Amino acid sequence: MSWIVRMIVVLPALAALAGLLARRQRLLAAGIAIGMSAYVAVLAFIQWVAPARTADIESIGRLSTGALQVPLHLLSDRLSGLVALAVAVVVLAIQVFTAWYLRDDPRYGQFAATVSLFATGMLLLVQASDLVLILVGWEIMGWCSWLLIGHDSQRPEARRAAYKAFIVTRVADIGMVVGLVALAVRAGSTDLITVLTASGHDTALTVGLVGVIIGVAGKSGLIPFHDWLPDAMEGPTPASALIHAATMVAAGSYVIARLFSLYASHDGARTLLAVLASATMVYAALLAFAQTDLKRMLAYSTLSQIAIMLAALAAAPPDIGFAPAIGHLVAHAFFKALLFLGAGWLSVLAGATALAALRGRLHGTGALRWSIGLGLAALAGVPPLIGFFTKDSVIETSIEGATGGGGARAWLVVVALFVTVVLTATYCARAWLLLDTPLAAAEPQSGGSPNAATGSDVPEAVVVAEEDLAVVTAADSADDAEVERVHAHGHAPITLSAALAVATLAALTVFGTLLLFSLTGALKPGIVSALLSLLLVVGAAYAVWTLSDRGRHDVADRVPSHVRDRAVRGFGADTAYVGVGRAVTAVARLVVALDRDVVDAYPRATVVAARGLGRVGERSHRGVPSLSLLALLAGVVVIAVLGVTAWR
Amino acid sequence: MALTLMLLLPLLGAVALIAIPGDESRVERGIALGTTVLTALLAVVVVTGRHEIDAPWIRSLGIRWHFGVDGISAALVILTALLTVAVVVHTLAGRFPAGGSGSTFLGCILLVETGALATFLARDAILFFIAFEVVLVPMWVLIRSFGDDHVPDERRSDAAGRFVLFTVLGSTLMLVGILFLVHHQGTSDLTELARLHGDGISRSLETAIAGMLLLGLGIKVPLWPVHTWLPPAHTVAPTAGSVLLAAVLLKMGTYGIVRLVVATVPNGLAALSPVLAILGVVGILWGGLACLVERDLKRLIAYSSVAHMGFVVLALASGSDTGLQAALLGNIAHGVVAALLFFVVGDLKEQWGSADLSTVRAGLRDTSPRLGVVLLVGLAAALGLPGLVSFWGEFLALYAAWSPAPDRPVALLRVCVVLGAVGLALAAAYSLRVARLVWSGEASGAAAEVPASSTAAGEAGRASTTGAPTVGAPAEGVAAEGVASAGGAVVDARGARWAVVLTLAVAVVVLGVLPQLLLGVSGPDAVRLITGAGVLP
Repeated sequence: MSWIVRMIVVLPALAALAGLLARRQRLLAAGIAIGMSAYVAVLAFIQWVAPARTADIESIGRLSTGALQVPLHLLSDRLSGLVALAVAVVVLAIQVFTAWYLRDDPRYGQFAATVSLFATGMLLLVQASDLVLILVGWEIMGWCSWLLIGHDSQRPEARRAAYKAFIVTRVADIGMVVGLVALAVRAGSTDLITVLTASGHDTALTVGLVGVIIGVAGKSGLIPFHDWLPDAMEGPTPASALIHAATMVAAGSYVIARLFSLYASHDGARTLLAVLASATMVYAALLAFAQTDLKRMLAYSTLSQIAIMLAALAAAPPDIGFAPAIGHLVAHAFFKALLFLGAGWLSVLAGATALAALRGRLHGTGALRWSIGLGLAALAGVPPLIGFFTKDSVIETSIEGATGGGGARAWLVVVALFVTVVLTATYCARAWLLLDTPLAAAEPQSGGSPNAATGSDVPEAVVVAEEDLAVVTAADSADDAEVERVHAHGHAPITLSAALAVATLAALTVFGTLLLFSLTGALKPGIVSALLSLLLVVGAAYAVWTLSDRGRHDVADRVPSHVRDRAVRGFGADTAYVGVGRAVTAVARLVVALDRDVVDAYPRATVVAARGLGRVGERSHRGVPSLSLLALLAGVVVIAVLGVTAWR
Repeated sequence: MALTLMLLLPLLGAVALIAIPGDESRVERGIALGTTVLTALLAVVVVTGRHEIDAPWIRSLGIRWHFGVDGISAALVILTALLTVAVVVHTLAGRFPAGGSGSTFLGCILLVETGALATFLARDAILFFIAFEVVLVPMWVLIRSFGDDHVPDERRSDAAGRFVLFTVLGSTLMLVGILFLVHHQGTSDLTELARLHGDGISRSLETAIAGMLLLGLGIKVPLWPVHTWLPPAHTVAPTAGSVLLAAVLLKMGTYGIVRLVVATVPNGLAALSPVLAILGVVGILWGGLACLVERDLKRLIAYSSVAHMGFVVLALASGSDTGLQAALLGNIAHGVVAALLFFVVGDLKEQWGSADLSTVRAGLRDTSPRLGVVLLVGLAAALGLPGLVSFWGEFLALYAAWSPAPDRPVALLRVCVVLGAVGLALAAAYSLRVARLVWSGEASGAAAEVPASSTAAGEAGRASTTGAPTVGAPAEGVAAEGVASAGGAVVDARGARWAVVLTLAVAVVVLGVLPQLLLGVSGPDAVRLITGAGVLP
């Protein structure tokens, strides 16, 4: 059994290596990538059916690190089985989709190999029973995200976005590294079980748990590290799907779930997590509503959804534990991958990802329309899709946490969750109405609109929309190179296999709930909260429906334009990052100046002093040659006298 | 026997090469390659067989001709011997650097190898000092005569002079420290000194000795305020010199600290460990920050060396066995990674004519994917990416500093851990800066997509069209330079050179995936060295 766990980690790495070597042969590269991820999916399924329930699977052997124990074990249990299965399935779907989506990309081979390596990182993290292995997987994902986001490196925006993503997450990883070190020190071992059962050392525990939260905030995009994720849309759409769905951003929730028993006993750390997650959940949902680009809207919705998982971990009572959060992680993996692949599909049909350019383009696209519709409905939490059950389980758990002694921390989460339910339904309804209402219906401006009565409102809205379009095509669009290529010479129609990949994800969005029964506690919807959130979803959707005049207008245009513009740009978070970067660069320049003018001054001064002394000495010699001659003669005489005396 | 042969072989080879006045004919190439390969084979034999040689040398002073290998030095010996082969192969596969006869160049490389191997094998403190000094002159020749011929002669002389003067100052201080130590302990045998573990010396004297040794060896490492010799030396040195400097010479400093300070005057080290930790961390941050704005690629890697060695020093300051393991692993890791980076960057500089990052060039990824991929591996390792070799040393260093030996200042070291982790983020920033500029290329999209040869032509054309109307006659010179420096059309690594960098890249990955290969070798001896149980059986 344990070999299956090892293979789950090792095979994608081998696929990455082989794919890199075979990058020139397109078919071979695709075959390796897809074949290996299919095999891994099968292995992950076996593990899901019958997890080994052990945490002592040897990986590369124990390290000789003196007093510190580094056993580097892998584990296999229900939790890892479920998450690994979700990861493997999503990766497989993405690999199949990529083979079609990037068929004209000259660097497809490298891309597919990087995706495989990315999967290694995530699966290693999932199967790891050792803090060091968790960190290894964590950082491998960070590195691969840099490669994937910067895949179209001929475009400056992609280079910048990749750099930003890696640096922001790496800065947060300062916390992760320190936190994991502190936890390891506390246990004297990096083994997960030992770390979880160790006792004492409250300072180390606090530092460890808070440090891990900071690291998680970076990768999962909690405020204030959130701004890298929307920019990461510069990567090709399959890369976005991968980063957003089952890997990287979700990894933080998994790590905290693994450490849950430590968090459960530490209120301070959980309060920090609750505050960060609640703020991010609401804020990102608000920004998602305002976005002018489909992919950026999905990115903000990811931030919001990941925060829901983390909030569940922050509010859950210890007896329920991490299961509801993991349930939502799996659900999100399915529907977000579906949405991103759908968005990629739509973008090559329409040649754009800007919402203004995509208006009505979904209408009459058959399977694609269904897929995106299901994805958005699951995201909004419409029953009986998977998103409904898992989100409601999270709400119910948080309410239990709040009533069961969680106090203000859990109530904060509960309130934020209900607000987010409304906001999520709002932006999903908006996106659906924009994408699906045929342009013919949206075009005629006269009459029908309830606002038309005021007369001045409608033309203004239209002007705003046109301005939006101009802004969008200039700067805010997250079109990847593939979409640009569509403009140049079109794109081949979707292959059956790629369409099947999307359809599989759609099916999982509908029936995936069944998978969650394997994890005790992952599904625990409450009747009251379910009815309440259903009411909120319907109400929000109805409000959007009426306010947008049955989809004829963009409901986000009702936001005052100065607020909206700033919201589209993330309220200047990027500027703040640039400010930090400038400050560091200024310090760096200072360091270089100090290095040259202060630290190096002493050696140079020594040189000057030595030269000066040398000249002084030289001068004192040159001045009196006769004196030295005299001395020499005197010396010879003295030696001669001494010699003669001694001889005698 | 094998051990003596291993030390004599490169020495004789070096003497032969330097004595032969001729140029780089087949004979010299054969001698250089044959000697280094044989030495490398002997090194493997010596290390696997744990050979030792012990004979009286200077009887009146009680100094013995005592060489031996143990877990602490084994990896360094292998690294030195194999890297010298790589350096020689790399040199023979390309153009010799201008500035003197090729045989002198090869002879100097062999002489450096002799000195380094003897340093790592010496079991006697005085012998260690002598071997330490052997390296100096050949390295000076490599920098002074065979240095970068694009820079004015004064800069070469300055860089070489700095190298020699800093190092000589360091080794003089070290000699004084050694003499104090030997005088008070009554033996110069390193095994015996390690077994005594500082017994019989008063604590204040131990601190004084440790101070002198640390200052002397710290210059070689280099520690923070005495690091200013390294960047100019690296910038000017030829590729072979840079590789040996980074991968072998710097290691002699840290190895010396382990052998002479950690083992023999532990209480002195404990007393000075706050200073050592602070200097290490300042080095990490200082080097990392300098790399963020440095424009010369070779200088940048030199500063990154300062940062990486900072982690090694921090690990040593912790005083625990985990720390010692971290330092030894970090040492080897930096040796492999820095060698890889300097090989690649040296190739690039040879073709670009300079290593200035502010010149816009097409990305290596498009023009020369092989160099691109190994550069990327090197940079990933330099930023401490887990799964590559540098990560383990740095992570363990942070762990060791968080839980140091009992007599260390815990709070201070924990602050150092946080700052060291900040250094990891800086490493990411500068590594990716280089990757962005060199690997993916900041050149415009059009330039990057055009095949390599036509890019050069295009750049040349652009240079001549912009230059011709205004400058007239000198425009041709401008155009010619345009091809050399701004074109960015880099010929990809081929043949032996490709084999060298590929091997190093594979080593970075394999040692990163299986760090136990290195940790297992040094593990038992590291524990014995820390506890003072003596190292050799």
